[in-house]
Amino acid sequence: MTAFKKLTLTEPELVVALQSKDPAVLKTLYSMYSSALYGVISRIITHTELAEDVLQETFVKIWQSATNYDQTKGRLFTWMMNIARNLSIDKLRSKDFKNSLKNQDIENNVSFVDEQNKVTFNPDVMGVKQLVENLKPDLQSVLDLVYYKGYTHVEAAEKLDLPLGTVKTRIRLAIIELRRSFN
Amino acid sequence: MSVENLKAYIESGVLELYVLGDLTPEETLHVEEMASQYREVRDELAAIEQAMEQYAMQNAVEPSTEVETRLFEKLDVSDLRENILTPHTQQEEPRIVRFDNNAGKVKTLRYALVACVALLIVSTAALFVTYNQLNDAHDQIASLSLDKQKYAGLVKQLEFNNKGLDNMVAMFDSKEWATIRMAGQAFSPKSKMNVYWNKKDKSVLINYVAMDLPKTDPEHEYQLWALVNGKPVSLGVFGKPDSASNEALLKMPAIQEAQAFAVTLEPMGGSVNPTMEKLTVMGGV
Repeated sequence: MTAFKKLTLTEPELVVALQSKDPAVLKTLYSMYSSALYGVISRIITHTELAEDVLQETFVKIWQSATNYDQTKGRLFTWMMNIARNLSIDKLRSKDFKNSLKNQDIENNVSFVDEQNKVTFNPDVMGVKQLVENLKPDLQSVLDLVYYKGYTHVEAAEKLDLPLGTVKTRIRLAIIELRRSFN
Repeated sequence: MSVENLKAYIESGVLELYVLGDLTPEETLHVEEMASQYREVRDELAAIEQAMEQYAMQNAVEPSTEVETRLFEKLDVSDLRENILTPHTQQEEPRIVRFDNNAGKVKTLRYALVACVALLIVSTAALFVTYNQLNDAHDQIASLSLDKQKYAGLVKQLEFNNKGLDNMVAMFDSKEWATIRMAGQAFSPKSKMNVYWNKKDKSVLINYVAMDLPKTDPEHEYQLWALVNGKPVSLGVFGKPDSASNEALLKMPAIQEAQAFAVTLEPMGGSVNPTMEKLTVMGGV
Protein backbone atom coordinates (compact mmCIF):
# COMPACT_ATOMS: atom_id res chain seq x y z
CA MET A 1 0.00 0.00 0.00
CA THR A 2 2.81 2.41 0.76
CA ALA A 3 4.00 2.05 -2.81
CA PHE A 4 0.98 4.03 -3.95
CA LYS A 5 0.91 7.67 -3.22
CA LYS A 6 -2.49 8.68 -1.93
CA LEU A 7 -4.26 11.19 -4.07
CA THR A 8 -5.31 14.22 -2.10
CA LEU A 9 -7.21 17.41 -2.67
CA THR A 10 -8.12 20.07 -0.16
CA GLU A 11 -11.65 19.78 1.13
CA PRO A 12 -13.01 22.89 -0.67
CA GLU A 13 -11.56 21.61 -3.97
CA LEU A 14 -13.19 18.25 -3.41
CA VAL A 15 -16.53 19.85 -2.63
CA VAL A 16 -16.49 22.03 -5.75
CA ALA A 17 -15.63 19.06 -7.98
CA LEU A 18 -18.11 16.75 -6.27
CA GLN A 19 -21.00 19.20 -6.50
CA SER A 20 -20.27 19.99 -10.15
CA LYS A 21 -20.60 16.21 -10.70
CA ASP A 22 -17.13 15.90 -12.11
CA PRO A 23 -16.72 12.09 -12.43
CA ALA A 24 -12.95 12.35 -12.02
CA VAL A 25 -13.33 13.47 -8.41
CA LEU A 26 -14.85 10.14 -7.46
CA LYS A 27 -11.53 8.35 -7.83
CA THR A 28 -9.81 10.94 -5.70
CA LEU A 29 -12.54 10.80 -3.10
CA TYR A 30 -12.38 7.03 -3.01
CA SER A 31 -8.61 7.05 -2.73
CA MET A 32 -8.73 9.56 0.13
CA TYR A 33 -11.60 8.24 2.19
CA SER A 34 -12.59 4.67 1.28
CA SER A 35 -10.44 3.04 3.96
CA ALA A 36 -11.52 5.50 6.67
CA LEU A 37 -15.18 4.96 5.81
CA TYR A 38 -14.67 1.21 5.52
CA GLY A 39 -13.09 1.32 8.98
CA VAL A 40 -16.31 2.80 10.32
CA ILE A 41 -18.56 0.44 8.33
CA SER A 42 -16.63 -2.75 9.07
CA ARG A 43 -16.84 -2.11 12.79
CA ILE A 44 -20.59 -1.88 12.59
CA ILE A 45 -20.93 -4.78 10.11
CA THR A 46 -18.34 -7.48 10.63
CA HIS A 47 -19.55 -9.58 7.71
CA THR A 48 -16.98 -8.63 5.05
CA GLU A 49 -19.20 -9.08 2.02
CA LEU A 50 -22.06 -7.05 3.48
CA ALA A 51 -19.67 -4.38 4.78
CA GLU A 52 -18.19 -4.01 1.29
CA ASP A 53 -21.70 -3.74 -0.15
CA VAL A 54 -22.37 -0.92 2.28
CA LEU A 55 -19.12 0.81 1.31
CA GLN A 56 -20.20 0.69 -2.30
CA GLU A 57 -23.67 1.97 -1.42
CA THR A 58 -22.04 4.74 0.59
CA PHE A 59 -20.08 6.04 -2.37
CA VAL A 60 -23.08 5.72 -4.67
CA LYS A 61 -25.09 7.79 -2.21
CA ILE A 62 -22.28 10.34 -1.79
CA TRP A 63 -22.18 10.68 -5.56
CA GLN A 64 -25.91 10.89 -6.00
CA SER A 65 -26.69 13.27 -3.16
CA ALA A 66 -23.56 15.43 -3.38
CA THR A 67 -25.65 18.54 -3.87
CA ASN A 68 -27.33 17.94 -0.50
CA TYR A 69 -24.05 18.53 1.28
CA ASP A 70 -23.96 21.98 2.90
CA GLN A 71 -20.45 23.18 3.63
CA THR A 72 -21.66 25.61 6.27
CA LYS A 73 -23.07 22.80 8.38
CA GLY A 74 -19.93 20.76 8.82
CA ARG A 75 -16.95 19.02 7.30
CA LEU A 76 -17.29 16.88 4.20
CA PHE A 77 -15.94 13.85 6.04
CA THR A 78 -18.55 14.20 8.81
CA TRP A 79 -21.27 14.19 6.16
CA MET A 80 -19.79 11.13 4.41
CA MET A 81 -19.17 9.30 7.68
CA ASN A 82 -22.77 9.79 8.70
CA ILE A 83 -23.93 8.43 5.36
CA ALA A 84 -21.71 5.40 5.93
CA ARG A 85 -22.95 4.95 9.53
CA ASN A 86 -26.61 5.33 8.59
CA LEU A 87 -26.34 2.86 5.69
CA SER A 88 -24.49 0.43 7.98
CA ILE A 89 -27.14 0.66 10.66
CA ASP A 90 -29.90 0.28 8.07
CA LYS A 91 -28.14 -2.84 6.78
CA LEU A 92 -27.69 -4.19 10.28
CA ARG A 93 -31.44 -3.96 10.78
CA SER A 94 -32.41 -5.17 7.32
CA LYS A 95 -33.78 -8.54 6.24
CA ASP A 96 -30.62 -9.02 4.18
CA PHE A 97 -28.45 -8.98 7.26
CA LYS A 98 -30.76 -11.23 9.28
CA ASN A 99 -30.79 -13.73 6.44
CA SER A 100 -27.01 -13.72 6.30
CA LEU A 101 -26.97 -14.53 10.01
CA LYS A 102 -29.24 -17.53 9.45
CA ASN A 103 -27.02 -18.73 6.65
CA GLN A 104 -23.96 -19.10 8.87
CA ASP A 105 -22.69 -22.67 9.28
CA ILE A 106 -23.19 -24.15 12.70
CA GLU A 107 -19.41 -24.61 13.17
CA ASN A 108 -18.81 -20.97 12.44
CA ASN A 109 -21.55 -19.86 14.73
CA VAL A 110 -19.46 -19.53 17.86
CA SER A 111 -16.78 -17.40 16.30
CA PHE A 112 -19.38 -15.49 14.31
CA VAL A 113 -21.34 -14.61 17.41
CA ASP A 114 -18.08 -13.69 19.07
CA GLU A 115 -17.27 -11.40 16.22
CA GLN A 116 -20.66 -9.83 16.44
CA ASN A 117 -20.07 -8.97 20.04
CA LYS A 118 -16.55 -7.74 20.15
CA VAL A 119 -14.80 -4.69 18.90
CA THR A 120 -12.02 -5.50 16.47
CA PHE A 121 -9.10 -3.29 15.71
CA ASN A 122 -7.05 -2.66 12.65
CA PRO A 123 -3.64 -4.16 13.51
CA ASP A 124 -2.07 -1.34 11.50
CA VAL A 125 -3.27 1.21 14.03
CA MET A 126 -2.07 -0.27 17.28
CA GLY A 127 -1.54 3.25 18.59
CA VAL A 128 -5.25 3.91 18.49
CA LYS A 129 -6.05 0.60 20.09
CA GLN A 130 -3.73 1.64 22.83
CA LEU A 131 -5.44 4.98 23.02
CA VAL A 132 -8.93 3.57 23.23
CA GLU A 133 -7.81 1.10 25.83
CA ASN A 134 -6.43 4.00 27.77
CA LEU A 135 -9.93 5.47 27.90
CA LYS A 136 -11.71 4.84 31.14
CA PRO A 137 -13.85 1.70 30.76
CA ASP A 138 -17.14 3.56 31.21
CA LEU A 139 -16.18 6.03 28.47
CA GLN A 140 -14.99 3.24 26.22
CA SER A 141 -18.22 1.22 26.52
CA VAL A 142 -20.32 4.21 25.47
CA LEU A 143 -18.06 5.09 22.53
CA ASP A 144 -18.04 1.41 21.51
CA LEU A 145 -21.78 1.31 21.30
CA VAL A 146 -22.34 4.64 19.61
CA TYR A 147 -19.35 4.76 17.31
CA TYR A 148 -18.66 1.11 16.52
CA LYS A 149 -21.96 -0.64 17.04
CA GLY A 150 -24.19 1.92 15.43
CA TYR A 151 -26.31 2.57 18.49
CA THR A 152 -28.08 5.86 18.98
CA HIS A 153 -27.35 7.49 22.32
CA VAL A 154 -30.91 6.61 23.36
CA GLU A 155 -30.33 2.92 22.58
CA ALA A 156 -26.95 3.05 24.31
CA ALA A 157 -28.60 4.50 27.42
CA GLU A 158 -31.09 1.63 27.45
CA LYS A 159 -28.39 -0.96 26.80
CA LEU A 160 -26.13 0.37 29.55
CA ASP A 161 -29.05 1.23 31.81
CA LEU A 162 -27.81 4.80 32.24
CA PRO A 163 -29.60 8.15 32.17
CA LEU A 164 -29.57 9.83 28.78
CA GLY A 165 -27.59 12.76 30.15
CA THR A 166 -24.86 10.49 31.45
CA VAL A 167 -24.50 8.80 28.09
CA LYS A 168 -24.23 12.17 26.38
CA THR A 169 -21.62 13.34 28.85
CA ARG A 170 -19.61 10.18 28.45
CA ILE A 171 -19.63 10.45 24.70
CA ARG A 172 -18.40 14.01 25.04
CA LEU A 173 -15.68 13.04 27.48
CA ALA A 174 -14.53 10.18 25.26
CA ILE A 175 -14.26 12.52 22.28
CA ILE A 176 -12.44 15.09 24.35
CA GLU A 177 -9.94 12.36 25.23
CA LEU A 178 -9.49 11.66 21.54
CA ARG A 179 -9.09 15.34 20.76
CA ARG A 180 -6.40 15.60 23.38
CA SER A 181 -4.51 12.64 22.09
CA PHE A 182 -4.53 13.97 18.53
CA ASN A 183 -3.33 17.38 19.58
CA MET B 1 -27.07 33.60 25.73
CA SER B 2 -24.76 34.12 28.65
CA VAL B 3 -21.23 32.78 28.60
CA GLU B 4 -22.19 30.27 31.30
CA ASN B 5 -25.20 29.07 29.43
CA LEU B 6 -23.17 28.75 26.27
CA LYS B 7 -20.56 26.74 28.12
CA ALA B 8 -23.25 24.50 29.57
CA TYR B 9 -24.74 24.04 26.11
CA ILE B 10 -21.37 23.05 24.67
CA GLU B 11 -20.71 20.70 27.54
CA SER B 12 -24.12 19.04 27.34
CA GLY B 13 -22.73 16.67 24.69
CA VAL B 14 -25.31 17.68 22.09
CA LEU B 15 -22.60 18.88 19.68
CA GLU B 16 -20.95 15.43 19.72
CA LEU B 17 -24.29 13.85 18.98
CA TYR B 18 -24.76 16.37 16.17
CA VAL B 19 -21.46 15.32 14.63
CA LEU B 20 -22.41 11.65 15.07
CA GLY B 21 -25.70 12.38 13.28
CA ASP B 22 -27.62 11.23 16.34
CA LEU B 23 -30.08 14.11 16.75
CA THR B 24 -33.69 14.63 15.71
CA PRO B 25 -34.26 17.09 12.83
CA GLU B 26 -35.44 19.77 15.30
CA GLU B 27 -32.38 19.34 17.52
CA THR B 28 -30.17 19.41 14.44
CA LEU B 29 -31.71 22.69 13.28
CA HIS B 30 -31.20 24.15 16.74
CA VAL B 31 -27.50 23.21 16.77
CA GLU B 32 -27.06 24.76 13.32
CA GLU B 33 -28.78 27.93 14.54
CA MET B 34 -26.47 28.07 17.55
CA ALA B 35 -23.44 27.48 15.33
CA SER B 36 -24.40 30.35 13.04
CA GLN B 37 -24.75 32.66 16.05
CA TYR B 38 -21.85 31.67 18.29
CA ARG B 39 -18.27 31.34 17.28
CA GLU B 40 -17.59 29.13 20.32
CA VAL B 41 -20.12 26.59 19.08
CA ARG B 42 -18.60 26.63 15.58
CA ASP B 43 -15.10 26.12 16.98
CA GLU B 44 -16.23 23.32 19.25
CA LEU B 45 -18.03 21.56 16.38
CA ALA B 46 -14.94 21.93 14.18
CA ALA B 47 -12.77 20.40 16.91
CA ILE B 48 -15.15 17.48 17.40
CA GLU B 49 -15.37 16.87 13.67
CA GLN B 50 -11.60 17.02 13.31
CA ALA B 51 -11.20 14.53 16.14
CA MET B 52 -13.75 12.11 14.70
CA GLU B 53 -12.19 12.40 11.26
CA GLN B 54 -8.69 11.76 12.58
CA TYR B 55 -10.03 8.93 14.67
CA ALA B 56 -11.63 7.38 11.60
CA MET B 57 -8.43 7.88 9.60
CA GLN B 58 -6.42 6.18 12.32
CA ASN B 59 -8.88 3.28 12.34
CA ALA B 60 -9.01 3.00 8.57
CA VAL B 61 -9.39 -0.49 7.11
CA GLU B 62 -8.42 -1.08 3.52
CA PRO B 63 -11.37 -2.63 1.61
CA SER B 64 -10.67 -5.21 -1.08
CA THR B 65 -9.87 -3.77 -4.50
CA GLU B 66 -12.96 -5.45 -5.93
CA VAL B 67 -15.15 -2.89 -4.18
CA GLU B 68 -13.55 -0.09 -6.14
CA THR B 69 -13.88 -1.99 -9.41
CA ARG B 70 -17.55 -2.76 -8.75
CA LEU B 71 -18.26 0.79 -7.62
CA PHE B 72 -16.82 2.41 -10.74
CA GLU B 73 -18.60 -0.15 -12.89
CA LYS B 74 -21.86 0.65 -11.16
CA LEU B 75 -21.37 4.39 -11.54
CA ASP B 76 -20.08 3.85 -15.08
CA VAL B 77 -17.03 6.05 -14.59
CA SER B 78 -14.43 3.30 -14.84
CA ASP B 79 -12.97 4.85 -17.96
CA LEU B 80 -11.93 7.85 -15.93
CA ARG B 81 -9.45 5.97 -13.84
CA GLU B 82 -6.49 7.51 -15.59
CA ASN B 83 -8.09 10.90 -15.43
CA ILE B 84 -7.49 11.70 -11.81
CA LEU B 85 -7.81 15.22 -10.55
CA THR B 86 -4.79 16.96 -9.17
CA PRO B 87 -5.11 20.19 -7.19
CA HIS B 88 -3.45 22.43 -9.76
CA THR B 89 -4.99 21.19 -12.95
CA GLN B 90 -8.48 20.81 -11.64
CA GLN B 91 -9.81 24.02 -13.10
CA GLU B 92 -8.02 23.80 -16.45
CA GLU B 93 -9.04 20.25 -17.07
CA PRO B 94 -11.33 20.03 -20.11
CA ARG B 95 -14.82 18.94 -19.47
CA ILE B 96 -15.27 15.32 -20.29
CA VAL B 97 -18.16 14.65 -22.60
CA ARG B 98 -18.94 11.00 -22.82
CA PHE B 99 -20.47 9.36 -25.87
CA ASP B 100 -20.48 5.83 -24.52
CA ASN B 101 -23.91 4.84 -25.78
CA ASN B 102 -23.55 6.54 -29.15
CA ALA B 103 -20.09 5.10 -29.64
CA GLY B 104 -21.58 1.65 -29.12
CA LYS B 105 -24.37 2.33 -31.61
CA VAL B 106 -21.95 3.77 -34.18
CA LYS B 107 -19.75 0.70 -33.75
CA THR B 108 -22.76 -1.59 -34.23
CA LEU B 109 -23.89 0.37 -37.28
CA ARG B 110 -20.38 0.23 -38.69
CA TYR B 111 -20.36 -3.55 -38.36
CA ALA B 112 -23.81 -3.68 -39.96
CA LEU B 113 -22.58 -1.54 -42.85
CA VAL B 114 -19.57 -3.78 -43.41
CA ALA B 115 -21.86 -6.83 -43.30
CA CYS B 116 -24.22 -5.21 -45.84
CA VAL B 117 -21.40 -4.36 -48.21
CA ALA B 118 -20.03 -7.89 -47.91
CA LEU B 119 -23.50 -9.31 -48.57
CA LEU B 120 -23.91 -7.03 -51.59
CA ILE B 121 -20.58 -8.18 -53.04
CA VAL B 122 -21.42 -11.85 -52.48
CA SER B 123 -24.90 -11.35 -53.99
CA THR B 124 -23.51 -9.57 -57.03
CA ALA B 125 -20.96 -12.33 -57.58
CA ALA B 126 -23.65 -15.00 -57.19
CA LEU B 127 -25.94 -13.13 -59.60
CA PHE B 128 -23.10 -12.85 -62.14
CA VAL B 129 -22.33 -16.58 -61.89
CA THR B 130 -26.03 -17.44 -62.21
CA TYR B 131 -26.38 -15.13 -65.20
CA ASN B 132 -23.45 -16.83 -66.92
CA GLN B 133 -24.91 -20.25 -66.19
CA LEU B 134 -28.25 -19.12 -67.60
CA ASN B 135 -26.52 -17.94 -70.77
CA ASP B 136 -24.73 -21.28 -71.05
CA ALA B 137 -28.05 -23.05 -70.59
CA HIS B 138 -29.62 -20.91 -73.34
CA ASP B 139 -26.73 -21.74 -75.67
CA GLN B 140 -27.14 -25.44 -74.88
CA ILE B 141 -30.87 -25.28 -75.52
CA ALA B 142 -30.28 -23.51 -78.85
CA SER B 143 -27.63 -26.04 -79.87
CA LEU B 144 -29.85 -28.96 -78.77
CA SER B 145 -32.80 -27.64 -80.70
CA LEU B 146 -30.52 -27.21 -83.73
CA ASP B 147 -29.40 -30.81 -83.27
CA LYS B 148 -33.01 -31.85 -82.96
CA GLN B 149 -33.89 -30.14 -86.23
CA LYS B 150 -30.88 -31.73 -87.83
CA TYR B 151 -31.90 -35.19 -86.62
CA ALA B 152 -35.52 -34.62 -87.57
CA GLY B 153 -34.36 -33.70 -91.07
CA LEU B 154 -32.11 -36.74 -91.14
CA VAL B 155 -34.95 -38.99 -90.02
CA LYS B 156 -37.16 -37.53 -92.72
CA GLN B 157 -34.47 -38.13 -95.28
CA LEU B 158 -33.95 -41.66 -94.03
CA GLU B 159 -37.69 -42.36 -94.18
CA PHE B 160 -37.80 -41.04 -97.72
CA ASN B 161 -34.85 -43.16 -98.76
CA ASN B 162 -36.29 -46.18 -97.01
CA LYS B 163 -39.56 -45.82 -98.85
CA GLY B 164 -37.79 -45.49 -102.16
CA LEU B 165 -35.69 -48.57 -101.42
CA ASP B 166 -38.83 -50.48 -100.39
CA ASN B 167 -40.37 -49.62 -103.75
CA MET B 168 -37.25 -50.68 -105.57
CA VAL B 169 -37.21 -54.00 -103.75
CA ALA B 170 -40.89 -54.48 -104.51
CA MET B 171 -40.29 -53.73 -108.20
CA PHE B 172 -37.30 -56.09 -108.33
CA ASP B 173 -39.42 -58.83 -106.89
CA SER B 174 -42.18 -58.28 -109.38
CA LYS B 175 -41.67 -59.64 -112.94
CA GLU B 176 -43.78 -56.86 -114.40
CA TRP B 177 -41.16 -54.18 -114.06
CA ALA B 178 -38.13 -53.81 -116.26
CA THR B 179 -35.27 -51.83 -114.87
CA ILE B 180 -33.41 -49.74 -117.40
CA ARG B 181 -30.01 -48.61 -116.19
CA MET B 182 -28.92 -45.37 -117.73
CA ALA B 183 -25.18 -44.65 -117.63
CA GLY B 184 -23.42 -41.32 -117.58
CA GLN B 185 -22.65 -39.65 -120.89
CA ALA B 186 -19.93 -37.23 -122.03
CA PHE B 187 -21.74 -34.27 -120.36
CA SER B 188 -21.67 -35.93 -116.97
CA PRO B 189 -19.75 -39.26 -117.02
CA LYS B 190 -20.26 -40.06 -113.35
CA SER B 191 -24.05 -39.80 -113.43
CA LYS B 192 -26.35 -42.79 -113.41
CA MET B 193 -30.06 -43.39 -113.09
CA ASN B 194 -32.68 -46.11 -113.32
CA VAL B 195 -36.01 -46.02 -115.09
CA TYR B 196 -38.72 -48.59 -114.34
CA TRP B 197 -40.99 -49.58 -117.17
CA ASN B 198 -44.02 -51.74 -116.58
CA LYS B 199 -44.20 -54.45 -119.27
CA LYS B 200 -47.94 -54.86 -118.89
CA ASP B 201 -49.41 -51.37 -118.70
CA LYS B 202 -46.27 -49.63 -120.06
CA SER B 203 -46.24 -47.08 -117.27
CA VAL B 204 -42.92 -45.44 -116.43
CA LEU B 205 -41.58 -44.71 -112.95
CA ILE B 206 -38.43 -43.05 -111.74
CA ASN B 207 -37.10 -43.37 -108.24
CA TYR B 208 -35.31 -40.43 -106.68
CA VAL B 209 -33.38 -42.83 -104.52
CA ALA B 210 -32.10 -44.63 -107.60
CA MET B 211 -30.55 -41.64 -109.30
CA ASP B 212 -27.23 -39.90 -109.07
CA LEU B 213 -27.38 -36.71 -111.11
CA PRO B 214 -25.56 -33.39 -110.62
CA LYS B 215 -27.59 -30.74 -108.89
CA THR B 216 -29.46 -28.40 -111.17
CA ASP B 217 -29.42 -24.64 -110.98
CA PRO B 218 -32.75 -22.78 -110.55
CA GLU B 219 -33.09 -22.16 -114.29
CA HIS B 220 -32.75 -25.78 -115.37
CA GLU B 221 -34.33 -29.15 -114.71
CA TYR B 222 -33.96 -32.69 -116.04
CA GLN B 223 -36.20 -34.05 -118.82
CA LEU B 224 -36.80 -37.77 -119.42
CA TRP B 225 -36.93 -38.97 -122.99
CA ALA B 226 -37.90 -42.26 -124.58
CA LEU B 227 -36.27 -43.10 -127.90
CA VAL B 228 -38.98 -44.58 -130.08
CA ASN B 229 -37.69 -45.76 -133.41
CA GLY B 230 -34.84 -43.25 -133.34
CA LYS B 231 -37.05 -40.30 -132.33
CA PRO B 232 -37.03 -38.77 -128.85
CA VAL B 233 -40.39 -38.60 -127.11
CA SER B 234 -40.62 -36.43 -124.01
CA LEU B 235 -41.75 -38.18 -120.87
CA GLY B 236 -41.82 -34.99 -118.84
CA VAL B 237 -39.49 -33.10 -116.57
CA PHE B 238 -38.38 -33.83 -113.04
CA GLY B 239 -36.32 -31.82 -110.63
CA LYS B 240 -35.03 -32.47 -107.25
CA PRO B 241 -37.39 -34.29 -104.92
CA ASP B 242 -39.35 -31.40 -103.39
CA SER B 243 -39.69 -31.36 -99.63
CA ALA B 244 -43.51 -31.23 -99.84
CA SER B 245 -43.71 -34.75 -101.22
CA ASN B 246 -42.59 -37.78 -99.34
CA GLU B 247 -42.84 -39.91 -102.42
CA ALA B 248 -39.55 -41.22 -103.67
CA LEU B 249 -41.27 -42.56 -106.77
CA LEU B 250 -42.45 -40.30 -109.51
CA LYS B 251 -44.86 -41.58 -112.11
CA MET B 252 -44.04 -40.44 -115.67
CA PRO B 253 -46.27 -40.70 -118.75
CA ALA B 254 -46.60 -44.25 -120.09
CA ILE B 255 -44.93 -45.19 -123.34
CA GLN B 256 -46.06 -48.14 -125.47
CA GLU B 257 -42.79 -48.69 -127.20
CA ALA B 258 -39.23 -47.58 -126.58
CA GLN B 259 -35.73 -48.76 -127.48
CA ALA B 260 -33.92 -46.54 -125.03
CA PHE B 261 -34.39 -43.91 -122.32
CA ALA B 262 -32.34 -40.76 -121.78
CA VAL B 263 -32.20 -37.69 -119.58
CA THR B 264 -31.08 -34.26 -120.69
CA LEU B 265 -30.67 -31.01 -118.82
CA GLU B 266 -33.18 -28.52 -120.17
CA PRO B 267 -34.39 -25.02 -119.29
CA MET B 268 -37.25 -24.94 -116.74
CA GLY B 269 -40.43 -26.36 -118.26
CA GLY B 270 -38.62 -28.68 -120.62
CA SER B 271 -37.93 -28.52 -124.38
CA VAL B 272 -39.67 -29.94 -127.42
CA ASN B 273 -36.45 -31.51 -128.65
CA PRO B 274 -33.66 -32.73 -126.38
CA THR B 275 -30.54 -30.62 -126.09
CA MET B 276 -28.05 -33.29 -127.07
CA GLU B 277 -25.05 -31.41 -125.71
CA LYS B 278 -26.56 -31.78 -122.29
CA LEU B 279 -27.37 -35.46 -122.51
CA THR B 280 -26.69 -36.63 -118.98
CA VAL B 281 -27.54 -40.34 -118.89
CA MET B 282 -28.81 -42.84 -121.38
CA GLY B 283 -29.52 -46.56 -121.37
CA GLY B 284 -31.06 -49.06 -123.75
CA VAL B 285 -33.96 -51.33 -122.97
